[in-house]
Order: sequence, then C-alpha cells, then structure tokens
Amino acid sequence: MPDWKEEVRRRLSRLNLEPAREAEIVEELAQHLDDIYERSVKAGLTEAEAKRVALKELADTELMQKEMRRSHKPTSQAPVAGGGRTSVLADFWNDLRYAIRLQRKNPGFTIVAVIALALGIGANTAIFSVVNTVLLRPLPYKDPERLVMVWEEATKAGYPQDTPAAANFVDWRDQNQSFEGMAAITDDSFNLTGSGDPERLEGQRVSTNLFPLLGVEPQIGRVFTAAEDQPGNERVVLLSYGLWQRRFGGDAGIVGKSLQLSGAGYTVVGVMPARFQFPTADDEVWVPIAFTQEDAANRDRHYLRVVGRLKPGVTLAQAQADMSTIATRLQQQYPQSNTDLGAVITPLHEHLVGDIKPALLILLGAVGLVLLIACANVANLLLARAAVRQKEIAVRVALGARRSRLIRQFLTESVSLSLLGGLVGLVIAYVGLIVLKAFIPENISQARAISIDYKVLGFTLLVSLATGLIFGLAPALQSIRFNQAETLKEGGRDAATGGSGKRLRSLLVMAEVAISLVLLIGAGLLINSFLRLRNVDPGFRAENLLTMKIVLPDLKYERKIQRSAFYTDLVQRVQSLPGVRSAAVTTNLPLYLQGNSISISIEGRPEPPPGQEPIIVTRIISPGYFDTMTIPLLKGRPLTDQDTDDSPNVVVIGESMARRYWPGEEAVGKRIAVGRVKSQEDWLQIVGVVKDVRQFELTADPKPQMYLTHRQYGFFDAQDLVVKTDVDPASMAGAVRKAVWEIDKDQPVSDIRPMETILADSIARQRFSMLLLAIFASVALVLAAVGIYGVMSYSVAQRTHEIGIRMALGAQTSAVLKLAVGYGLKLVAAGIGIGLVAAFALTRVMSTLLFGVTATDPTTFTLISLLLVAVAAIASYIPARRATRVNPIIALRYE
Amino acid sequence: MPYKLSQMLDRELKKGSAELLILSLVEDQPRHGYDIGNLIEQRSRGRLRFNVASLYPLLYRLERRGWIQGRWVEKAGQRRRRYYRLTAEGRRVLAAQRNSWQEFVEAINRITGIEHA
Repeated sequence: MPDWKEEVRRRLSRLNLEPAREAEIVEELAQHLDDIYERSVKAGLTEAEAKRVALKELADTELMQKEMRRSHKPTSQAPVAGGGRTSVLADFWNDLRYAIRLQRKNPGFTIVAVIALALGIGANTAIFSVVNTVLLRPLPYKDPERLVMVWEEATKAGYPQDTPAAANFVDWRDQNQSFEGMAAITDDSFNLTGSGDPERLEGQRVSTNLFPLLGVEPQIGRVFTAAEDQPGNERVVLLSYGLWQRRFGGDAGIVGKSLQLSGAGYTVVGVMPARFQFPTADDEVWVPIAFTQEDAANRDRHYLRVVGRLKPGVTLAQAQADMSTIATRLQQQYPQSNTDLGAVITPLHEHLVGDIKPALLILLGAVGLVLLIACANVANLLLARAAVRQKEIAVRVALGARRSRLIRQFLTESVSLSLLGGLVGLVIAYVGLIVLKAFIPENISQARAISIDYKVLGFTLLVSLATGLIFGLAPALQSIRFNQAETLKEGGRDAATGGSGKRLRSLLVMAEVAISLVLLIGAGLLINSFLRLRNVDPGFRAENLLTMKIVLPDLKYERKIQRSAFYTDLVQRVQSLPGVRSAAVTTNLPLYLQGNSISISIEGRPEPPPGQEPIIVTRIISPGYFDTMTIPLLKGRPLTDQDTDDSPNVVVIGESMARRYWPGEEAVGKRIAVGRVKSQEDWLQIVGVVKDVRQFELTADPKPQMYLTHRQYGFFDAQDLVVKTDVDPASMAGAVRKAVWEIDKDQPVSDIRPMETILADSIARQRFSMLLLAIFASVALVLAAVGIYGVMSYSVAQRTHEIGIRMALGAQTSAVLKLAVGYGLKLVAAGIGIGLVAAFALTRVMSTLLFGVTATDPTTFTLISLLLVAVAAIASYIPARRATRVNPIIALRYE
Repeated sequence: MPYKLSQMLDRELKKGSAELLILSLVEDQPRHGYDIGNLIEQRSRGRLRFNVASLYPLLYRLERRGWIQGRWVEKAGQRRRRYYRLTAEGRRVLAAQRNSWQEFVEAINRITGIEHA
C-alpha cells in the first residue's frame, strides 16, 4: 500500500501546525486514504488507478488549507517541514520567530553568546572605523589619487626622503613633463597679536597654486592669486575655519580685514571650509611662500615639502622616471650642491598616513582573531545546546524534516544571534571609539574625523553575518549527524556527548587556546617593547621640567643682539621666580622630531667630497641648559655666560660625535666649523663633551650632536624655554608666562607642557598599539578561559556517573581531580603547541613595532604559555572540584 | 448530476447544512471520518460526496467549536482510529439546526409545490 503520509504532510506544511497535532492529522487522513484505496482495489481497480482515486481526495488542497487554518492556529513550535514546495522566505520567517522564542527561553545562554559576539564584533567595528578613516577613506581633496609628494633623495647622507632646497624645487617645477602642477610648502608659525591675548599659530607658507592644485575652494573669500607669490605682494592670509570661529567668532566680514602676524600686517583674503586640513589639522593659517630671488637660487637650505598633481594618465613610475632624469641633469649642472641628490615620488596618502599603517593592520588582524575566539565559544555553547536538542531533532527527522531544512534553521538561529551580537557590538564600538579617540596619537592624519559611517555599518553587518555562518555551521552539521533511532530511545546516550561531538568541542577549545596564545604573545611582545622604551635613557631628566614655546617675531626682533638680550632677560627673570631652580632656552626640545642638522668642517682634515660632509644635529642653547635638563658633562666645561661675541667661539659636543670623529683622541680642544671655512673666525673650539641626548625619538640611537650658545651664534632662533622647578612644573605656568609678558606684552607663549608629557607623547603610538593589543588579548584570554570552563563543566557533568563510581569505590578526591584537570590540560597543551608554532610565524609581521625585543623573544613566549596553562588549570579545576563534592549515591543515580 | 450538487454543497457548506449532516451521523454512535464520509455518500446514493480535503477540516472545525469530540480508540487487531461523538452542546445545536432545516425545506416545498413522496 502506498505511504500517504508524505503526501498529506506536504499539503499541510504551509499551515505550520503544532507537530503533535500535525502528526495526528496526518495519521487520520492517511488512514482515510488507505480505506479508500483498499475499497477501490476490492472493487477491482488496478493499484495505480486506486492510488489515483485516493489522491483525488486531496485535490482540493487550497480549500483544505483554508479550512484548516480556520480551525488551527499556526504553531508556536518548530516547523516540522519536509516538503519541497515551501517558500524559502516563509521558512526563514518561521525559523527566525522560532529562534527568537528559543533565545527568549534561554536568556542566560543568549546573554553569554551575545556578549561574546558583541565584544568580538564591537572590537572589529571600532578598529575598522579607524582603518576606514585613516587608511581607506580618500583624502578630502579633488582626485586625491593623483596627488603625490616629491622628495629629494639623499640616501647616501642618510636621508632617503629629504626636503628639497628652493632652487631645486623651482627646477623640478619648471622642467617636468608629468605634473599638472607642483607646489612647495614649509611649516611656519606666527604670533597673532592685536585684539585679545597674543597667540601663536601654526601655519604654512605655500606656493599660491597649492589650493587649485588640491582642488579645494574657500568657504568665504578667495584663495591666493599667482601675483601674490611675488615678494612684496605676499602679505595676505587664508584662515582655517576653526581659527575663524574661535578667534573671530565667525565674523562674516573678516575678508579684507588686517591681522598682525609676527609683527607684520596681513590682509585676510579668505576662510577655508571646516573639513579642510593641509597638511595637518594643526595648521590654521596659510600665507604665500613668495621666494625672493635669493631664495629661488638657493640649493643648500633643504626645507621645502613639495606636493604635486600628476597629469591624468601619468603613472607614478612614469613621473618617477621623469623626475630622476631631471635630478641627474641637476647633479651634473650643480655638482657642488647636488652631488648624490635624486628625486623620489611617494603618494600623498602614504605621507599623510605615515607609519601608523602597520600597527593598524596588525590591530585589525588581532581583532579578527578575537572574533574567531568568540565564534569558537559560541559554537561550543551551541554544540552543548544541540546535544540537549537531539531529541527534538530526531523527532523532526523522523517526521520527515529534510537535513538541508534543518541546517537552514540552525543557521537562522546562529545568524540571528550574531546579528543581535552585531547590534550590541555597534554600541560597544561607539563607546569604544570615544575612548579610542582619547588614546589615538593626535598627529595621525584624519584622527579627528574617525567615525562610524555607512561603510563601517556595512562592514559590521557583513562581519555579523559571516560570524553567524561560521559558528553556526559546526553545530548544524553536528546535530544532523547522529543515529536517529538511538536518540529516540529513552535514556539513550546521544552522539554529542561522546564521539564526534566531544571531539569537535575539544578541537574548538584547542583552537581558542592557540589563537589566544598568538594574541597574548603579540601583546606580550608589545608590552615588553613598551617597558623597554620607557626605560630608555633619553639623556636628560624629564622630572620637574616645564617647557613652552616663545617664538620671537622677525620684524620686532630683527637683530641678533635684540634676541639674545630678550632670552638673557627672560632666563634671569624666570630663574628669580620662587619655585624655579634654573631655566634655559633652546632651538628645539628633544623628542620633537624636528630641529636642525648642519654640515661641519673639521680642522686639519681634508675637505670631504660634496654630499659626504659630517652632518651634526645642532642645538642653539643658553648657558645653563645642561644644568636645567640634567645632561651630564663628561669632559671639559659647559657653555657659560662668559662665552660671548667678544670671546673665542666655542662648542660643546655629544659623546657619540666625539667618538665618531676623534676616536681614541681627546676631542676637547679640537676645532670645527659650521659649513665651509671662509675665515679663521669661523672656527669653533670644542670646550666640553656631554652625554648624548635622544633628540628626535626614543627608539632611535642618538645621532652625533653639538650645542652652540645663542650669544655667539644667531643663525637659528631659540624658541623653547625649559624651566626646572622645585614644585609641580604645571603649577608654574602662569608665573612664567607673566614673566614673559613683563618683557613684551605682545609675545605669545604656547605649548606649555611638562617635559614628562612630551616624553609620554613621543611614545604615544607605541602606547596606543600596546594598550589596544593588550585589551584585545585580555578579552581573548577571558573568552578562552570561559570556553575551557564551559567544555570542562560539560565534560565533568557527563562523567558524573563515572566519577560517582570511582568515589564510591574509594578513589581519592585528588586522583579524580587529577583525572579531570589532566584532561583539560591535555587540551590546552595541544592548543599551546599549535599556538606557539603560529605565533612563531605570525609575530614576525610585527617586528617593525618592536623595540629591544625580537619577534621570537623566548622569555615572552615562555611566560605567556605558562600564563595560559595557569588560566586553563583554574578553568578546569573549578568544575572538576565541583564534581568531586557530589554525593556518590546521587552521582550513581545521575542520568 | 452529482457535480452540480457538490458545487451547491460547497455553498451549503458555508451556510452550515453540511454541519447538520455530520452532526446527525454521529448522533447515535461515535464514528470515524471514513465512516462518516461513506455514510454521507451511501445515504445520498452517491449524490453527496465529501472528499478528504473538505471533510476533515469540517470535522476539526466542529470539534473546535465543541460540538463533537474526537478520541483515538484502539481495537484489538486494528489500527487505532479517531472516533467522533456528539457533545451535549452539539446535541443542542443539532436540534436547533434540524428545526431550521425542516422549516427551510417546508418553506421551499410550499412555494414550489413539491409534495413529500
């Protein structure tokens, strides 16, 4: 006799009846069909005819469904569907509602899973927001992909990307075939005086074609005209939107007004839009660079940054070839200045993004791993739940549910979980970004523009979906691979408790351990680097030092003697303040990544060929600088008040300069000169040797360096004041500023910061990467611990019976504990083994972020492995301990 | 003309006369679905037929209203079958429906002049 049940079920499938009720109806209707069939056969019909007659009874399916719907409310139970005619969308909707009910029924499970996923997805979203803004979002200029930086290449002198001199820039600009335009810029700062407190503004002197070259329009007014690039016409200024708002209250009539910048009158011609920044967000004013004849012929002062716009269709390589040809020609034309000087092109984006890229990519990788661990955890939870639900699945398979249909339902459940996780993750990311922005180094391009935009939302959605599929697939496949008959039997041990289910969960735990190990080792290496970085001796003592910028305007302090007098007066006044131990001025503070290096000649040595002169980092200081900064004097004497214009010119050098140029000799007493010697008066006598200072960055070995006194040498301007205090340095800021204004009420004082802040800021990027990776690794560790704990609890619970027998037979608690913890540790050991291999391979990519440790630092590898073993032991011990406390009688009864 | 009749029956279904048929059949003794379907067909001499797709929804509807009650009954050597019996409420409804049906038929007969055979 034909089996009618499948036919009937197919016709009922859309009704989503309660499974038990559906089964009854199927049985009842099938019987009826049986009876009809039997009657037809008895009446002499062939089997095929009888079958046709019976099936005709079901012909009016639509009516039946309509009628049935009136007498049966749709189920609140899982669909038993097996039919092929059901619509995928309707199935999905049912599955979704079922999933939501399931999740409401198990709030504990749902909360744990959603938190794990939200942490993973949130971290990914936050880091992706940063990557998106900093690395992916196009620069806010027109056709930004055609914008490049052009550098002078002086690799032999140690500067693969150097700033060109003006004459070279002019030649590049006029001779090239590849660029639509080329503009030069140079950092400058201006003292804004007039109404209100005097203020120091960061800004740029720029070629007037810069703005059309970038393709930007002003918010109000106009940009510069070509005529304003001529000396005499350059007293015009463009303001940033921020400055316009802050200082001028957004005055709509600002255009045409005059400002006092560093003592000269400038006419405001326009205000740039709020989103405009070039090159950094710190720049608030732009004025024409207006080379003088003399500037435009100079090939020795390398101070320009050059930005160019490639002609459409010109590739980077073509432009590079063009520029190299020009550079070679210039080498031949001007051997004195241009020997060994090339030209090199880099994308503007690369220049503005800088060296944060590797760190960001590594962080992105790290959060990806955190998410994987979260996935493994949730997969584990789902597997445990799938074991509980085996009966349900078995019944549904028995009732004809197809496996593909079941998998679809499982995936709907996991994806709805992961979408919920994604939603919460977005909230975490939003809050996380607020925190992140506080830590992200200020000088990262676009750091202030970091936000969650539609791309980030899309990313989160994709990640959530992918996550749901990844962690849902394992339990889905697992749950349909079992012996149906076994499961249906009362008390039958289900497949997930032993065999492949257990194996899968063990594998997941191993993977979690391995991944967390990689993350922890990465974080460990960075923490190790950071600690070493903090212990680097910068060459001076940062404690109790207050620093500030005091830049004298050229026009007001035209002569060197005026400047010297100002500094001398200032240092005296500040030193006489109560709470101040000493004070000094310098051209550049250490760790600022800027400052001057100049070439020198050494007495008695042959003149080196062009391009190979010794280049020395040079600071012009006031006497007392070494004392104030606590830079130890190694030999000779420091610079003193007695070194003046009337006495012989003197210099104090750093130890590495002494070692490099006078190895095995006494450097004190030797004579050097700045640049080439034209007369005997150019010679400077070395009177002392001091300890090296890390002038540029903590991570770089100190370069050869020397110090000159501002009383003898006025070529550079001192601009930073350092004050050593007996009290909290920040508390002295007001008094010091007052002392400045007693000398000159129009003189701005800016960047008032304790030296310790500068020290901390100089390693802000390292701190940023370290902190984030440490946070992610901790999250990974917690997730892995939860994972181990979960699997151990489950495994111990499964073995309660066995443990009960052992205890009843007189096994010692310790032996049972050893057994259980031993199992956990075996898993962890395997995970650590895999993790170590992976870490060994993966940490190499972070070698550029490390300082003082190798990517395979054995100490870090060992310590982190031990940490993980300890955590795993605890996570295994707690459930094991619980199991041994069980009364053996109860354990024996345990089903 | 069974076809027309069944079409008519569809309309009657909605009016509730089909309900009357079923309620009447289970008045004296509980019956299962096939039995009910068979009896309708036999007693109408084949003029009235319910197929499975229309009979059972009707049974379930009546059951849901509480007029009939189905119960699985197992008899030795047979498959279990679901038997429907009339409930007290069903009995009351049947009496009322029978009344109005009779009134309806009489009314029609009076108009069309058809006498009882």
